[in-house]
Amino acid sequence: MTQTPSPHPGTQWPRWEVFKQDAPGRPWQAVGSVHAGDPDHALLTARNVFVRRPAAVSLWAVREGDILTATPEEVQTRPEVLDTPGEGGTYHVGLKRTHKRSMTFVDLVGTVEARGPGDAVRQAREEHPDALTWLVFPERAVVRTGDDPGTVDSWFAPARDKTYKQQQAYGVIGRHVGELKREGRMPGRVNEEPHIGAQKVHDHPHDPALQPAPRKVQP
Amino acid sequence: MTAPAALLTPAQTQALIRKLTALADDEIILAHRDGEWTGHAPILEEDIALANIAQDELGHAGMYLELRRTLDGSDPDRLAFFRGADGYTNVRLVELPKGDWALTMLRQFLFDAYEALWLSAAQKSSYAPLAEVAAKAVREEKFHLQHTALWVERLALGTDESRRRTQNALDELWPHVAQLFAPLPGEADLVAAGMLPELEKVRASWESFVLPHLTEKCGLTLPMALAEASEGRDVHTEHLAPLLAEMQSVARQHANAEVW
Repeated sequence: MTQTPSPHPGTQWPRWEVFKQDAPGRPWQAVGSVHAGDPDHALLTARNVFVRRPAAVSLWAVREGDILTATPEEVQTRPEVLDTPGEGGTYHVGLKRTHKRSMTFVDLVGTVEARGPGDAVRQAREEHPDALTWLVFPERAVVRTGDDPGTVDSWFAPARDKTYKQQQAYGVIGRHVGELKREGRMPGRVNEEPHIGAQKVHDHPHDPALQPAPRKVQP
Repeated sequence: MTAPAALLTPAQTQALIRKLTALADDEIILAHRDGEWTGHAPILEEDIALANIAQDELGHAGMYLELRRTLDGSDPDRLAFFRGADGYTNVRLVELPKGDWALTMLRQFLFDAYEALWLSAAQKSSYAPLAEVAAKAVREEKFHLQHTALWVERLALGTDESRRRTQNALDELWPHVAQLFAPLPGEADLVAAGMLPELEKVRASWESFVLPHLTEKCGLTLPMALAEASEGRDVHTEHLAPLLAEMQSVARQHANAEVW
Protein backbone atom coordinates (compact mmCIF):
# COMPACT_ATOMS: atom_id res chain seq x y z
CA MET A 1 0.00 0.00 0.00
CA THR A 2 1.33 3.40 -0.87
CA GLN A 3 1.08 6.09 1.73
CA THR A 4 1.50 9.73 0.92
CA PRO A 5 3.80 11.32 3.47
CA SER A 6 2.06 14.02 5.50
CA PRO A 7 3.22 17.56 4.76
CA HIS A 8 3.02 18.17 8.53
CA PRO A 9 4.32 14.99 10.14
CA GLY A 10 3.03 14.39 13.65
CA THR A 11 0.12 16.81 13.35
CA GLN A 12 -2.39 14.59 11.57
CA TRP A 13 -4.65 12.03 13.19
CA PRO A 14 -4.28 8.58 11.67
CA ARG A 15 -6.87 7.21 9.29
CA TRP A 16 -8.91 4.19 10.38
CA GLU A 17 -10.65 1.87 7.98
CA VAL A 18 -14.19 1.13 9.16
CA PHE A 19 -15.86 -2.26 8.77
CA LYS A 20 -19.58 -2.52 9.35
CA GLN A 21 -21.76 -5.56 9.94
CA ASP A 22 -25.38 -4.95 8.91
CA ALA A 23 -26.96 -7.93 10.64
CA PRO A 24 -25.85 -10.98 12.60
CA GLY A 25 -24.34 -13.53 10.23
CA ARG A 26 -23.49 -10.95 7.57
CA PRO A 27 -19.85 -10.28 6.72
CA TRP A 28 -18.13 -7.16 8.02
CA GLN A 29 -17.74 -4.82 5.05
CA ALA A 30 -15.40 -1.90 4.46
CA VAL A 31 -17.57 1.20 4.26
CA GLY A 32 -15.01 3.99 4.36
CA SER A 33 -12.62 5.62 6.77
CA VAL A 34 -12.44 8.14 9.58
CA HIS A 35 -9.65 10.21 11.05
CA ALA A 36 -9.36 9.87 14.81
CA GLY A 37 -6.83 10.30 17.57
CA ASP A 38 -7.32 6.92 19.24
CA PRO A 39 -9.32 3.68 18.91
CA ASP A 40 -12.31 4.78 21.03
CA HIS A 41 -12.58 8.02 19.13
CA ALA A 42 -12.38 6.12 15.83
CA LEU A 43 -15.35 3.92 16.76
CA LEU A 44 -17.43 6.85 18.00
CA THR A 45 -16.93 8.90 14.86
CA ALA A 46 -17.41 5.81 12.69
CA ARG A 47 -20.79 5.26 14.29
CA ASN A 48 -21.80 8.82 13.50
CA VAL A 49 -20.53 8.78 9.96
CA PHE A 50 -21.57 5.30 8.86
CA VAL A 51 -24.35 3.99 11.12
CA ARG A 52 -26.74 6.90 11.28
CA ARG A 53 -28.87 4.99 8.79
CA PRO A 54 -29.52 2.20 7.99
CA ALA A 55 -29.16 -0.35 10.76
CA ALA A 56 -25.94 -2.05 11.80
CA VAL A 57 -25.02 -4.39 14.63
CA SER A 58 -21.24 -4.13 14.87
CA LEU A 59 -18.37 -1.85 13.89
CA TRP A 60 -14.67 -2.51 13.63
CA ALA A 61 -11.96 0.07 13.09
CA VAL A 62 -8.43 -0.74 11.94
CA ARG A 63 -5.63 1.78 11.71
CA GLU A 64 -4.55 2.38 8.14
CA GLY A 65 -0.95 1.48 8.96
CA ASP A 66 -2.00 -1.99 10.13
CA ILE A 67 -3.62 -2.88 6.80
CA LEU A 68 -1.84 -4.39 3.81
CA THR A 69 -3.58 -4.51 0.46
CA ALA A 70 -2.49 -5.84 -2.91
CA THR A 71 -4.03 -6.19 -6.36
CA PRO A 72 -3.07 -8.91 -8.87
CA GLU A 73 -1.26 -6.22 -10.88
CA GLU A 74 0.74 -5.16 -7.86
CA VAL A 75 1.73 -8.75 -7.10
CA GLN A 76 2.88 -9.07 -10.73
CA THR A 77 5.02 -5.95 -10.68
CA ARG A 78 6.12 -6.10 -7.03
CA PRO A 79 6.13 -9.76 -5.97
CA GLU A 80 8.04 -8.79 -2.81
CA VAL A 81 4.71 -7.57 -1.39
CA LEU A 82 4.12 -11.26 -0.54
CA ASP A 83 7.17 -11.10 1.74
CA THR A 84 6.06 -7.99 3.65
CA PRO A 85 7.35 -8.74 7.13
CA GLY A 86 5.44 -8.36 10.38
CA GLU A 87 4.16 -10.21 13.38
CA GLY A 88 2.88 -13.73 12.92
CA GLY A 89 -0.60 -14.69 14.06
CA THR A 90 -4.22 -14.54 13.02
CA TYR A 91 -4.95 -12.25 10.07
CA HIS A 92 -8.33 -11.17 8.75
CA VAL A 93 -8.78 -11.42 5.01
CA GLY A 94 -10.91 -9.05 2.96
CA LEU A 95 -11.69 -9.22 -0.73
CA LYS A 96 -12.81 -6.79 -3.35
CA ARG A 97 -14.62 -8.92 -5.89
CA THR A 98 -16.41 -6.54 -8.20
CA HIS A 99 -16.16 -3.14 -9.82
CA LYS A 100 -19.90 -2.68 -9.43
CA ARG A 101 -20.77 0.62 -7.83
CA SER A 102 -21.70 0.07 -4.22
CA MET A 103 -21.57 1.66 -0.80
CA THR A 104 -19.14 -1.06 0.29
CA PHE A 105 -16.02 -2.21 -1.44
CA VAL A 106 -14.38 -4.99 0.57
CA ASP A 107 -15.96 -7.92 2.41
CA LEU A 108 -14.16 -9.72 5.20
CA VAL A 109 -14.32 -13.42 4.36
CA GLY A 110 -12.45 -15.11 7.21
CA THR A 111 -9.08 -15.46 8.84
CA VAL A 112 -5.77 -17.16 8.14
CA GLU A 113 -2.84 -18.07 10.39
CA ALA A 114 0.11 -16.29 8.81
CA ARG A 115 3.78 -15.54 9.49
CA GLY A 116 3.15 -11.87 8.65
CA PRO A 117 1.06 -9.60 6.45
CA GLY A 118 2.81 -10.65 3.23
CA ASP A 119 2.19 -14.31 4.01
CA ALA A 120 -1.46 -13.52 4.77
CA VAL A 121 -1.84 -11.90 1.33
CA ARG A 122 -0.12 -14.92 -0.22
CA GLN A 123 -2.66 -17.25 1.39
CA ALA A 124 -5.58 -14.99 0.50
CA ARG A 125 -4.39 -15.00 -3.10
CA GLU A 126 -4.10 -18.78 -3.24
CA GLU A 127 -7.56 -19.22 -1.83
CA HIS A 128 -9.27 -16.41 -3.76
CA PRO A 129 -7.33 -16.10 -7.03
CA ASP A 130 -10.11 -14.17 -8.75
CA ALA A 131 -10.30 -11.27 -6.29
CA LEU A 132 -9.65 -7.77 -7.57
CA THR A 133 -7.91 -6.78 -4.32
CA TRP A 134 -6.76 -8.67 -1.24
CA LEU A 135 -6.74 -6.89 2.10
CA VAL A 136 -5.29 -8.23 5.35
CA PHE A 137 -4.77 -7.00 8.89
CA PRO A 138 -3.82 -8.73 12.12
CA GLU A 139 -6.46 -9.59 14.69
CA ARG A 140 -4.63 -7.55 17.35
CA ALA A 141 -5.15 -4.37 15.26
CA VAL A 142 -8.95 -4.54 15.42
CA VAL A 143 -10.97 -2.33 17.76
CA ARG A 144 -14.59 -3.39 18.07
CA THR A 145 -17.84 -2.09 19.44
CA GLY A 146 -19.13 -4.12 22.36
CA ASP A 147 -21.82 -6.70 21.75
CA ASP A 148 -23.46 -6.14 25.15
CA PRO A 149 -27.15 -5.13 25.08
CA GLY A 150 -26.32 -1.61 26.33
CA THR A 151 -24.01 -0.85 23.42
CA VAL A 152 -26.26 -2.40 20.82
CA ASP A 153 -29.19 -0.43 22.23
CA SER A 154 -27.54 2.99 22.27
CA TRP A 155 -25.21 2.70 19.25
CA PHE A 156 -27.29 0.75 16.75
CA ALA A 157 -30.92 0.33 17.75
CA PRO A 158 -32.02 3.99 17.23
CA ALA A 159 -31.05 3.90 13.54
CA ARG A 160 -33.47 1.06 12.87
CA ASP A 161 -36.51 3.19 13.63
CA LYS A 162 -35.47 6.11 11.48
CA THR A 163 -36.93 6.67 8.08
CA TYR A 164 -34.55 7.42 5.29
CA LYS A 165 -34.48 7.48 1.55
CA GLN A 166 -32.03 6.12 -0.91
CA GLN A 167 -30.24 8.81 -2.85
CA GLN A 168 -32.13 7.80 -5.97
CA ALA A 169 -35.46 8.51 -4.25
CA TYR A 170 -34.83 12.24 -4.29
CA GLY A 171 -36.12 14.30 -7.15
CA VAL A 172 -33.75 15.51 -9.81
CA ILE A 173 -33.99 18.27 -12.36
CA GLY A 174 -34.86 16.76 -15.72
CA ARG A 175 -35.15 13.00 -15.78
CA HIS A 176 -33.68 10.48 -13.41
CA VAL A 177 -30.81 8.55 -14.92
CA GLY A 178 -32.57 5.33 -13.85
CA GLU A 179 -35.50 6.09 -16.13
CA LEU A 180 -33.18 6.62 -19.05
CA LYS A 181 -31.41 3.39 -18.28
CA ARG A 182 -34.66 1.43 -18.09
CA GLU A 183 -35.60 2.80 -21.48
CA GLY A 184 -32.31 1.52 -22.83
CA ARG A 185 -31.05 5.02 -23.50
CA MET A 186 -28.07 4.70 -21.18
CA PRO A 187 -25.40 2.00 -21.13
CA GLY A 188 -25.37 -0.39 -18.18
CA ARG A 189 -28.20 -1.24 -15.86
CA VAL A 190 -29.68 0.45 -12.83
CA ASN A 191 -27.87 -0.36 -9.63
CA GLU A 192 -30.64 -1.43 -7.32
CA GLU A 193 -29.76 -2.42 -3.77
CA PRO A 194 -32.12 -4.83 -1.98
CA HIS A 195 -34.94 -3.15 -0.09
CA ILE A 196 -37.87 -3.93 2.13
CA GLY A 197 -40.16 -0.97 1.53
CA ALA A 198 -38.05 2.17 1.83
CA GLN A 199 -35.52 0.45 4.11
CA LYS A 200 -32.40 -0.90 2.53
CA VAL A 201 -31.74 -4.37 3.83
CA HIS A 202 -27.96 -4.36 3.64
CA ASP A 203 -25.18 -2.94 1.58
CA HIS A 204 -24.13 -6.21 0.10
CA PRO A 205 -23.87 -5.86 -3.66
CA HIS A 206 -23.14 -9.47 -4.49
CA ASP A 207 -25.21 -12.52 -5.16
CA PRO A 208 -25.03 -14.54 -1.92
CA ALA A 209 -25.14 -17.76 -3.94
CA LEU A 210 -21.74 -16.90 -5.39
CA GLN A 211 -20.14 -16.27 -1.99
CA PRO A 212 -17.75 -18.87 -0.61
CA ALA A 213 -18.59 -19.71 2.98
CA PRO A 214 -16.47 -17.75 5.48
CA ARG A 215 -13.71 -19.98 6.78
CA LYS A 216 -14.03 -18.72 10.28
CA VAL A 217 -16.64 -16.43 11.69
CA GLN A 218 -15.78 -13.94 14.37
CA PRO A 219 -17.42 -14.53 17.72
CA MET B 1 -52.35 8.19 20.98
CA THR B 2 -55.31 8.30 23.30
CA ALA B 3 -54.18 10.66 25.97
CA PRO B 4 -54.58 9.59 29.55
CA ALA B 5 -55.17 13.31 29.92
CA ALA B 6 -58.62 12.55 31.28
CA LEU B 7 -56.89 11.32 34.43
CA LEU B 8 -55.15 14.64 34.99
CA THR B 9 -56.53 17.49 37.04
CA PRO B 10 -56.61 20.85 35.21
CA ALA B 11 -53.69 22.03 37.36
CA GLN B 12 -51.69 18.91 36.51
CA THR B 13 -52.40 19.39 32.82
CA GLN B 14 -51.09 22.94 32.95
CA ALA B 15 -47.99 21.86 34.88
CA LEU B 16 -47.32 19.06 32.41
CA ILE B 17 -47.69 21.40 29.45
CA ARG B 18 -45.18 23.74 31.10
CA LYS B 19 -42.74 20.91 31.72
CA LEU B 20 -42.99 19.38 28.23
CA THR B 21 -42.45 22.81 26.69
CA ALA B 22 -39.42 23.51 28.88
CA LEU B 23 -37.91 20.13 27.96
CA ALA B 24 -38.50 20.81 24.28
CA ASP B 25 -37.16 24.35 24.46
CA ASP B 26 -33.87 23.19 25.97
CA GLU B 27 -33.43 20.73 23.12
CA ILE B 28 -34.39 23.16 20.36
CA ILE B 29 -32.01 25.87 21.49
CA LEU B 30 -29.13 23.48 22.18
CA ALA B 31 -29.66 21.84 18.80
CA HIS B 32 -29.47 25.23 17.13
CA ARG B 33 -26.20 26.08 18.88
CA ASP B 34 -24.78 22.70 17.84
CA GLY B 35 -26.06 23.27 14.33
CA GLU B 36 -24.03 26.47 14.12
CA TRP B 37 -20.96 24.24 13.78
CA THR B 38 -22.21 22.63 10.58
CA GLY B 39 -19.48 23.24 8.04
CA HIS B 40 -17.16 24.64 10.72
CA ALA B 41 -16.30 21.75 13.06
CA PRO B 42 -12.61 20.87 13.53
CA ILE B 43 -12.80 17.82 11.26
CA LEU B 44 -15.34 16.42 8.85
CA GLU B 45 -16.15 13.46 11.08
CA GLU B 46 -17.03 15.71 14.01
CA ASP B 47 -19.02 17.99 11.75
CA ILE B 48 -21.20 15.03 10.89
CA ALA B 49 -21.28 13.77 14.48
CA LEU B 50 -22.40 17.07 15.95
CA ALA B 51 -25.04 17.53 13.25
CA ASN B 52 -26.29 14.04 14.17
CA ILE B 53 -26.44 14.98 17.83
CA ALA B 54 -28.29 18.19 17.01
CA GLN B 55 -30.78 16.26 14.90
CA ASP B 56 -31.36 13.78 17.71
CA GLU B 57 -32.03 16.61 20.17
CA LEU B 58 -34.49 18.19 17.74
CA GLY B 59 -36.16 14.82 17.44
CA HIS B 60 -36.59 14.72 21.21
CA ALA B 61 -38.07 18.21 21.16
CA GLY B 62 -40.51 17.04 18.51
CA MET B 63 -41.60 14.13 20.70
CA TYR B 64 -42.17 16.38 23.73
CA LEU B 65 -44.19 18.85 21.67
CA GLU B 66 -46.28 16.04 20.21
CA LEU B 67 -47.10 15.02 23.77
CA ARG B 68 -48.10 18.60 24.46
CA ARG B 69 -50.28 18.58 21.36
CA THR B 70 -52.32 15.73 22.85
CA LEU B 71 -52.96 17.93 25.89
CA ASP B 72 -53.86 21.28 24.34
CA GLY B 73 -53.85 20.76 20.58
CA SER B 74 -50.95 23.19 20.03
CA ASP B 75 -48.91 22.89 16.85
CA PRO B 76 -45.22 22.05 17.45
CA ASP B 77 -44.05 24.13 14.48
CA ARG B 78 -45.97 27.17 15.70
CA LEU B 79 -44.38 26.78 19.10
CA ALA B 80 -40.89 26.40 17.70
CA PHE B 81 -40.96 29.10 15.07
CA PHE B 82 -43.42 31.72 16.23
CA ARG B 83 -42.59 32.27 19.88
CA GLY B 84 -40.19 35.06 20.78
CA ALA B 85 -37.56 35.16 23.51
CA ASP B 86 -40.23 36.15 26.02
CA GLY B 87 -42.13 32.95 25.24
CA TYR B 88 -39.23 30.48 25.25
CA THR B 89 -38.57 28.62 28.50
CA ASN B 90 -35.16 27.06 27.89
CA VAL B 91 -32.40 27.21 30.49
CA ARG B 92 -29.77 29.90 30.00
CA LEU B 93 -27.03 27.25 29.74
CA VAL B 94 -28.13 26.23 26.24
CA GLU B 95 -28.56 29.71 24.78
CA LEU B 96 -25.00 30.92 25.48
CA PRO B 97 -23.05 31.42 22.24
CA LYS B 98 -21.37 28.31 20.90
CA GLY B 99 -17.89 29.51 21.85
CA ASP B 100 -14.99 27.26 20.92
CA TRP B 101 -14.97 23.49 20.50
CA ALA B 102 -14.15 22.99 24.19
CA LEU B 103 -17.18 24.97 25.30
CA THR B 104 -19.44 23.20 22.83
CA MET B 105 -18.28 19.74 23.88
CA LEU B 106 -18.34 20.54 27.60
CA ARG B 107 -21.83 22.05 27.46
CA GLN B 108 -23.09 19.09 25.48
CA PHE B 109 -21.48 16.74 28.01
CA LEU B 110 -23.07 18.50 31.00
CA PHE B 111 -26.44 18.50 29.25
CA ASP B 112 -26.21 14.93 27.91
CA ALA B 113 -25.44 13.61 31.39
CA TYR B 114 -28.45 15.46 32.79
CA GLU B 115 -30.71 14.37 29.96
CA ALA B 116 -29.59 10.73 29.97
CA LEU B 117 -30.22 10.47 33.72
CA TRP B 118 -33.52 12.35 33.58
CA LEU B 119 -34.78 10.18 30.71
CA SER B 120 -33.57 7.05 32.41
CA ALA B 121 -35.74 7.94 35.43
CA ALA B 122 -38.62 9.14 33.23
CA GLN B 123 -38.91 5.68 31.68
CA LYS B 124 -40.75 4.77 34.87
CA SER B 125 -43.19 7.65 34.56
CA SER B 126 -46.78 6.80 35.47
CA TYR B 127 -47.76 8.97 32.49
CA ALA B 128 -47.40 6.26 29.84
CA PRO B 129 -46.85 8.53 26.80
CA LEU B 130 -43.88 10.17 28.56
CA ALA B 131 -42.46 6.80 29.60
CA GLU B 132 -42.57 5.70 25.95
CA VAL B 133 -40.80 8.81 24.70
CA ALA B 134 -38.16 8.51 27.40
CA ALA B 135 -37.43 4.88 26.53
CA LYS B 136 -36.85 5.90 22.94
CA ALA B 137 -34.73 8.98 23.57
CA VAL B 138 -32.56 7.62 26.37
CA ARG B 139 -30.76 5.29 23.97
CA GLU B 140 -29.51 8.18 21.88
CA GLU B 141 -28.54 10.21 24.92
CA LYS B 142 -26.36 7.41 26.23
CA PHE B 143 -24.45 7.44 22.97
CA HIS B 144 -24.14 11.24 22.95
CA LEU B 145 -22.78 11.06 26.45
CA GLN B 146 -20.04 8.61 25.49
CA HIS B 147 -19.00 10.87 22.66
CA THR B 148 -18.92 14.10 24.64
CA ALA B 149 -17.35 12.49 27.73
CA LEU B 150 -14.55 11.29 25.47
CA TRP B 151 -14.03 14.75 24.00
CA VAL B 152 -13.98 16.51 27.38
CA GLU B 153 -11.36 14.04 28.56
CA ARG B 154 -9.21 14.38 25.43
CA LEU B 155 -9.35 18.16 25.55
CA ALA B 156 -8.71 18.43 29.30
CA LEU B 157 -5.75 16.07 29.10
CA GLY B 158 -4.49 17.26 25.71
CA THR B 159 -2.22 20.24 25.18
CA ASP B 160 -1.75 23.25 27.45
CA GLU B 161 -4.02 25.22 25.19
CA SER B 162 -6.80 22.63 25.08
CA ARG B 163 -6.65 22.30 28.88
CA ARG B 164 -6.84 26.09 29.30
CA ARG B 165 -9.80 26.33 26.95
CA THR B 166 -11.63 23.48 28.67
CA GLN B 167 -11.10 25.02 32.09
CA ASN B 168 -12.29 28.39 30.77
CA ALA B 169 -15.38 26.73 29.37
CA LEU B 170 -16.09 25.08 32.71
CA ASP B 171 -15.68 28.41 34.52
CA GLU B 172 -18.11 30.04 32.10
CA LEU B 173 -20.75 27.29 32.04
CA TRP B 174 -20.74 26.20 35.67
CA PRO B 175 -22.87 29.04 37.11
CA HIS B 176 -25.63 28.12 34.63
CA VAL B 177 -25.84 24.41 35.40
CA ALA B 178 -28.03 24.49 38.51
CA GLN B 179 -30.99 25.80 36.53
CA LEU B 180 -31.31 22.35 34.93
CA PHE B 181 -32.35 21.02 38.32
CA ALA B 182 -34.76 23.78 39.33
CA PRO B 183 -38.36 22.51 39.41
CA LEU B 184 -41.06 24.42 37.56
CA PRO B 185 -44.23 25.70 39.19
CA GLY B 186 -46.54 22.72 39.74
CA GLU B 187 -43.80 20.17 39.05
CA ALA B 188 -43.81 18.84 42.62
CA ASP B 189 -47.42 17.71 42.20
CA LEU B 190 -46.49 15.71 39.09
CA VAL B 191 -43.50 14.20 40.87
CA ALA B 192 -45.75 13.16 43.74
CA ALA B 193 -48.07 11.50 41.23
CA GLY B 194 -45.13 9.51 39.83
CA MET B 195 -45.36 11.27 36.47
CA LEU B 196 -42.00 13.04 36.54
CA PRO B 197 -38.57 12.19 37.97
CA GLU B 198 -37.60 14.01 41.11
CA LEU B 199 -34.97 16.55 40.06
CA GLU B 200 -33.13 16.34 43.37
CA LYS B 201 -32.49 12.66 42.74
CA VAL B 202 -31.46 13.27 39.13
CA ARG B 203 -29.10 15.92 40.39
CA ALA B 204 -27.53 13.56 42.91
CA SER B 205 -26.81 10.93 40.26
CA TRP B 206 -25.65 13.64 37.86
CA GLU B 207 -23.16 14.91 40.42
CA SER B 208 -21.87 11.45 41.23
CA PHE B 209 -21.19 10.89 37.52
CA VAL B 210 -20.10 14.31 36.29
CA LEU B 211 -17.99 15.57 39.17
CA PRO B 212 -15.50 12.67 39.23
CA HIS B 213 -15.25 12.78 35.43
CA LEU B 214 -14.35 16.47 35.45
CA THR B 215 -12.00 16.41 38.42
CA GLU B 216 -10.44 12.98 38.93
CA LYS B 217 -10.46 11.82 35.33
CA CYS B 218 -9.91 15.10 33.52
CA GLY B 219 -7.99 17.08 36.15
CA LEU B 220 -10.23 20.14 35.86
CA THR B 221 -10.93 22.47 38.76
CA LEU B 222 -14.54 23.06 39.74
CA PRO B 223 -15.09 26.80 40.01
CA MET B 224 -17.36 26.76 43.08
CA ALA B 225 -20.18 24.86 44.64
CA LEU B 226 -23.09 24.43 42.29
CA ALA B 227 -25.10 27.56 43.04
CA GLU B 228 -28.87 27.52 43.02
CA ALA B 229 -30.50 29.17 40.02
CA SER B 230 -31.52 32.65 41.04
CA GLU B 231 -34.01 33.27 38.27
CA GLY B 232 -36.57 31.17 36.45
CA ARG B 233 -36.88 30.04 32.86
CA ASP B 234 -38.65 33.26 31.90
CA VAL B 235 -35.37 35.18 32.27
CA HIS B 236 -32.87 34.98 29.41
CA THR B 237 -29.50 36.36 28.46
CA GLU B 238 -29.15 38.80 25.57
CA HIS B 239 -28.09 35.88 23.37
CA LEU B 240 -31.48 34.20 22.95
CA ALA B 241 -33.25 36.83 20.84
CA PRO B 242 -30.64 36.90 18.02
CA LEU B 243 -30.58 33.10 17.99
CA LEU B 244 -34.35 32.95 17.56
CA ALA B 245 -34.29 35.67 14.93
CA GLU B 246 -31.99 33.54 12.83
CA MET B 247 -33.64 30.20 13.60
CA GLN B 248 -37.13 31.48 12.85
CA SER B 249 -36.38 33.72 9.88
CA VAL B 250 -37.39 31.29 7.14
CA ALA B 251 -40.58 30.15 8.88
CA ARG B 252 -41.61 33.73 9.57
CA GLN B 253 -40.89 34.90 6.03
CA HIS B 254 -42.92 32.04 4.58
CA ALA B 255 -45.55 31.60 7.26
CA ASN B 256 -47.98 29.85 4.90
CA ALA B 257 -45.49 27.42 3.43
CA GLU B 258 -46.67 23.84 3.59
CA VAL B 259 -43.75 22.00 2.10
CA TRP B 260 -40.23 22.70 3.33
